[in-house]
Amino acid sequence: MLKVPADEPSTPWPRDDFSRVPYAVFTDEDIYRLENQRIFRGPVWNYLCHEIELPKAGDFVTTWVGETHVITARNNDGAVHAFENSCAHRGAKLTSAVRGNAKRLTCPYHLWTYSLEGDLRAVTFQHGVGGKGGMPAGFEKKDHGLNKLRVAIHGGLVFGTFSDDTPTLEEYLGPHSISQIDRLLVQRKPKVLGYLRQRIPGNWKLYNENVRDPYHGSLLHQFQVSFGLQQPTMRGGIKLDRDLKNTWNHSIVTEQDAASQKIVADAYAGTGKFNPDLKMADPALTKVPLDLGDNYKTTILSMFPTLILAQVDNTYAIRHLRPKGPGLVELHITYLGFESDTLQQTQDKLLTVNFIGPAGYISLEDGEALRLVQEGIRHRRPGGHEVLEMGGVGPIVDTDYLSQEISIRGFWSFYHQIMGLPAAGHPETRP
Amino acid sequence: MSDWTLQARVQAFLYEYAASLDEERFDDWVALFDPGNCTYEVLSRENRDLGLPAPIMGCYSYGMVCDRVAMLVKGVLTYRHNHLLRQVSNVRVRRAAPESKDDALLVQAGLVVHQSDEEGVSSLYMVGRYEMQLTDVGGKHLIRHMAVVVDSFGIDTMLAVPL
Repeated sequence: MLKVPADEPSTPWPRDDFSRVPYAVFTDEDIYRLENQRIFRGPVWNYLCHEIELPKAGDFVTTWVGETHVITARNNDGAVHAFENSCAHRGAKLTSAVRGNAKRLTCPYHLWTYSLEGDLRAVTFQHGVGGKGGMPAGFEKKDHGLNKLRVAIHGGLVFGTFSDDTPTLEEYLGPHSISQIDRLLVQRKPKVLGYLRQRIPGNWKLYNENVRDPYHGSLLHQFQVSFGLQQPTMRGGIKLDRDLKNTWNHSIVTEQDAASQKIVADAYAGTGKFNPDLKMADPALTKVPLDLGDNYKTTILSMFPTLILAQVDNTYAIRHLRPKGPGLVELHITYLGFESDTLQQTQDKLLTVNFIGPAGYISLEDGEALRLVQEGIRHRRPGGHEVLEMGGVGPIVDTDYLSQEISIRGFWSFYHQIMGLPAAGHPETRP
Repeated sequence: MSDWTLQARVQAFLYEYAASLDEERFDDWVALFDPGNCTYEVLSRENRDLGLPAPIMGCYSYGMVCDRVAMLVKGVLTYRHNHLLRQVSNVRVRRAAPESKDDALLVQAGLVVHQSDEEGVSSLYMVGRYEMQLTDVGGKHLIRHMAVVVDSFGIDTMLAVPL
């Protein structure tokens, strides 16, 4: 009888520094289902919305936690509550609206009604009609509320968790995240300038890698290099939280000198990609001043599992990942201005939005990169691993340089732990 | 000019607009804009309905319109290079100021864009509508303002080529 060889090696995580990642994590349906259970319903804080989207009592927004549809609402006391968008009776979706205002939430099917805290308030015909029918005597409304999430807020960012084991939000975010949230969202009061949505045919973790990967910044994004937004010679680095799950990447404004131009030209030699003479017919987009005035050119704060707070040049945005199966993710962007912005600063931001989002001169390429990876790994022979050695292997540490993949290894180290996967590293395959 | 002649002229303009992009004759597309004063925006229906100003793509000068396609032609951007087919329908035309001598026209039309990959597999890429203001420059219609309002604001992968 023919023996069918196993598709996967027995230890898919051969190195305990996470410099090898099995491609199966991006394609396997079982792993994807396990993620919904162990990550999105596990001890993590999931981003729900920003408080500015709920200015009044009764305001609500809907979002996705993994593949669970969640309503986040402000009640009459001003408190924010979150619960699943699924009736306790027969499971129907309570609302199909993305956002709205309501005094209460009524299921369209049998008109069961819930408070803005997610508690069941009324059951139609609970006591029957004309003395007949109705719910049994022991039926208690308090036992049939919506499935609730615990809510915590920092810097206006509203988070929810399904687990009782999640640490406090401040502990979970860590000091680098807290200081960056304060820098970007607290020192000026944000306002929403618009939403951008991009459905990327790639796994949600590929995007987590992308935002923890400053190595690609000046290589994939030729626009950035050509117009001085990002240079491989720029100063910058990464900082990780103690769990290695949250990363802050940053680069700092530097003068483009002849030496840095030479390094760029050498790096691109033979690729046909570098075009030092590229000019724009109207370069206004690249001349918008950085209005924070602290010399950070790009700062990307990536918080496990699905939230990114990004400043790319003079753009400020909350990016949220909404997985739609192993091979598709919606990237949802809340594009921000600030209450204190002058008319000119608002106009500037309606111009610089051309850097980001699905049509962004920079960001559109990340969608393409993810698509190419997902396509590439879907069509390769089973097994196989990513190679993450740029910047060094071994300990996962902060760096003061940008050509590195160490922060990606940090993501995987935490992912591996929270998923409860068998120990990484075979003695014989360690580096 | 009779209404029917006007309707036919505007439809011919829109068909050339769509064909110039489908065929990647980007210089011809740019030539449909008023070099003196023009804007081009792609807006999501979601933002439009909420009264939020941020576009998905926003060009506020003729130079910016040129740059959008120059970045494609010069190979600056890495993007999925599909074949696109734009179908324009339900074209409606009215004069911006019927009482005056101003020849500006307000044009609305429906838009469906199909995408086809290198192996001949097609799918629906975009549903939306054109909202356009045309101006008469030396007897020729040119675009003063163009807004493409997209219902498919959950954009498939990316939007590199203008709609």
